[in-house]
Amino acid sequence: MDTDKAEQLKAELQQWFNQAEQLIRQIPPNQLYAAVGIVLLTVFVFILVRVFKRTISNTVVLTGLSGSGKTTLFYQLRDGSSHQGTVTSMEPNESTFVLHSETSKKGKIKPVHIVDVPGHSRLRSKLDEFLPQAAGVVFVVDALEFLPNSRAASEYLYDILTKASVVKKKIPLLILCNKVDKASAHTREFIRKQLEKEIDKLRASRTALSAADITNEFTLGVPGETFAFSLCHNKVTVAEASGLTGDISQLEQFIREHVEP
Amino acid sequence: MLEQLLIFTRGGLILWTCKELGNALRGSPIDTLIRSCLLEERSGAASFNYDAPGTAYTLKWTFHNELGLVFVAVYQRILHLLYVDDLLAMVKREFSEIYDPKKTVYSDFDDIFRQLRKEAEARAEEIKKAKQVDKPVSNNMGNDSGDGDDNVKVRKLEAHSKGSFVANRNAPAKGIANGKENGSSNNGAFDVNKLQKLRAKGGKKTDTIVNKVPKVETKKKITKKNRVWDDSPKESKLDFTDPVSENGDENIQIVAADEGESMMDKEEIISSESESEEDEDEEAEKGTKVETKKKGWFSSMFQSIAGKANLEKADLEPALRALKDRLMTKNVAEEIAEKLCESVAASLEGKKLGSFTRISSTVQAAMEEALVRILTPRRSIDILRDVHASKEQRKPYVVVFVGVNGVGKSTNLAKVAYWLQQHDVNVMMAACDTFRSGAVEQLRTHARRLQIPIFEKGYEKDPAIVAKEAIQEATRNGSDVVLVDTAGRMQDNEPLMRALSKLIHVNSPDLVLFVGEALVGNDAVDQLSKFNQKLGELSPSASPRLIDGILLTKFDTIDDKVGAALSMVYISGAPVMFVGCGQSYTDLKKLNVKSIVKTLLK
Repeated sequence: MDTDKAEQLKAELQQWFNQAEQLIRQIPPNQLYAAVGIVLLTVFVFILVRVFKRTISNTVVLTGLSGSGKTTLFYQLRDGSSHQGTVTSMEPNESTFVLHSETSKKGKIKPVHIVDVPGHSRLRSKLDEFLPQAAGVVFVVDALEFLPNSRAASEYLYDILTKASVVKKKIPLLILCNKVDKASAHTREFIRKQLEKEIDKLRASRTALSAADITNEFTLGVPGETFAFSLCHNKVTVAEASGLTGDISQLEQFIREHVEP
Repeated sequence: MLEQLLIFTRGGLILWTCKELGNALRGSPIDTLIRSCLLEERSGAASFNYDAPGTAYTLKWTFHNELGLVFVAVYQRILHLLYVDDLLAMVKREFSEIYDPKKTVYSDFDDIFRQLRKEAEARAEEIKKAKQVDKPVSNNMGNDSGDGDDNVKVRKLEAHSKGSFVANRNAPAKGIANGKENGSSNNGAFDVNKLQKLRAKGGKKTDTIVNKVPKVETKKKITKKNRVWDDSPKESKLDFTDPVSENGDENIQIVAADEGESMMDKEEIISSESESEEDEDEEAEKGTKVETKKKGWFSSMFQSIAGKANLEKADLEPALRALKDRLMTKNVAEEIAEKLCESVAASLEGKKLGSFTRISSTVQAAMEEALVRILTPRRSIDILRDVHASKEQRKPYVVVFVGVNGVGKSTNLAKVAYWLQQHDVNVMMAACDTFRSGAVEQLRTHARRLQIPIFEKGYEKDPAIVAKEAIQEATRNGSDVVLVDTAGRMQDNEPLMRALSKLIHVNSPDLVLFVGEALVGNDAVDQLSKFNQKLGELSPSASPRLIDGILLTKFDTIDDKVGAALSMVYISGAPVMFVGCGQSYTDLKKLNVKSIVKTLLK
């Protein structure tokens, strides 16, 4: 019985095939070739677009502790002024635009996609959404209130530097000391040294948890040597800026370096 | 009078502040509101109180979820302004019409706001006046003539306004008229207000009298009498500690307990997602089908394809109710589930429903995000890092275990000691449970098995003093961590809570760990809030220490009813630092936020 049914099915399929062949034969060959060609072309274009999207990324991510001045810097980059002030962000700010200082330049300038991720500890997970597509990361540090927050800042920085996406893609990182317009702000050398010291200590205590620490995927630097930013796989630089007064030239330089103009 | 009204985006940019109310706000009330209320999923609450040196503000807010805007009004707490809610609603309506994502300056809104404020104030005056008119008219008798004149004036103005004035001017005219009327009626109704105040004061007085009586009683009760259960003769000796314990040691083979890796250090294998998603869909469908009839189902399908305009509270109601019931079956305390649902509703109201999404799935996604946000710790829970930091300062890191009776403090103290020991930290135990028979021996046995020093002073000693001496001993012999065990106590027991608060105040520990069992239901809310409250009230210092972390125990006894974790974290704001999942030394884990959220919403 089963073999009979199978044969019946086969016969039906054969009939189907014959009918289809006849239909196709009826269509003039040019049209057929044209249709197939168009389908192939669209598929090809899709693949191309996908591939291109991956190689060229124009995203720069602004991150740092809550209250360091990321949102102010974001609006300075976009509009050249911080408007009426900011409050703690509850959501990321992202937008693609031409840097405000370059709007006066002539010629075609490629817009930059800047993302400002909230620094509040409960919203840290939002950073992971944007890191994979980042061409550069800016870690904003409050140079005025640096010492009370130095431990939290270095922990956050350590977490970022040991993320898989940052290490594997060697995403360049800029440590931006913000609020330098105030007289009692620390110098960038001091901040750099403090951060290196704190991260050194963190390395010791984090590697003590060794294989089971699922949060940090990579370790930093060379065990035994004191940590320095120059030992990182990705390039780490330090710069200064002031969000309120609009002195962001070093930040813009970093952005332009890593996003092709 | 309003102190300030702000409009800002969820991304943090301030779009508009009222320039007329130019007073700068003292402290940073807006930032505190965002950090401690809106990001803590308490946005369903009615208002937020902010205290700074020199000021006491109350803040009220509203969201426009579609455009991602937040409207906040700040005013002094002593003025109970009635028109703030109305004003916020009106401001929201007007502003959303002129809002443009590209624009960042809205100076034309100043005039609109001025008008809206007058309208709102006028409306509030009317409501107040209406309430006062209902009061006994006898007080107004004396001022009748005055009232009569004003009434005539109002009627004349109204007549005029109907005839010649433009509709807009009604509001200010009425406002002025109402102001005058109110002035006179205030004089008359003043006595009524006074009466009300006196009545309230009287009520307060009786309250204080009632409170004083039990306090006096408890003061008399300080000396604890031995409990006599039946007619047996009184026991004179209570301290049964064995004086010959030294000799007893040699006979027993003491082997340091080494049971392998503590589960704190093991990676958790998370089960595959596909199973749970299927269950989710089934549950969600059942939920919607139960709530709606056939016609409702069709319209909801249609809406999900077409994408309804805006989500209203009524639409969210059934989905939220289903979600709340689901949370409660998972042992989440009832009021916590309620508050969470309100907060999620506040964040979804007015949002546009995307096409091809059901309301239930939007609500589910929002709730999941909210749960992850609550359970993610606000500060780092890296104890080893803190221990190292204390080590550098050459002080021992002191952890105090508090909780109600029978939750597993002593057992989990031993587990934490085992884990710390595995990471090369010198631990010392302090037996400050001087009440329960056998508590000191229990800790002594643990200490012997783990080969760590223990500081004990026997029974019936003051725990605070024992703890202090233990910490001094630790500094002397170079221990890195001191784990202090305390007696279990009910949150309502005033003298015991006072003793605990004294212990914490005298020793200022680095970590106050509240031990709570995962089996607890609605009582978790009561326990934690009362503990925090008593620790805050009864502490003689100005900035009292509250609960810093939670240790969740008996996690292996609940299958998937993991709601106690959520209740405790929500009510106290403290992160869950450890989870006890068994009765041997290795059964100590970290809280896996994603798996808990998945289990809660399954």
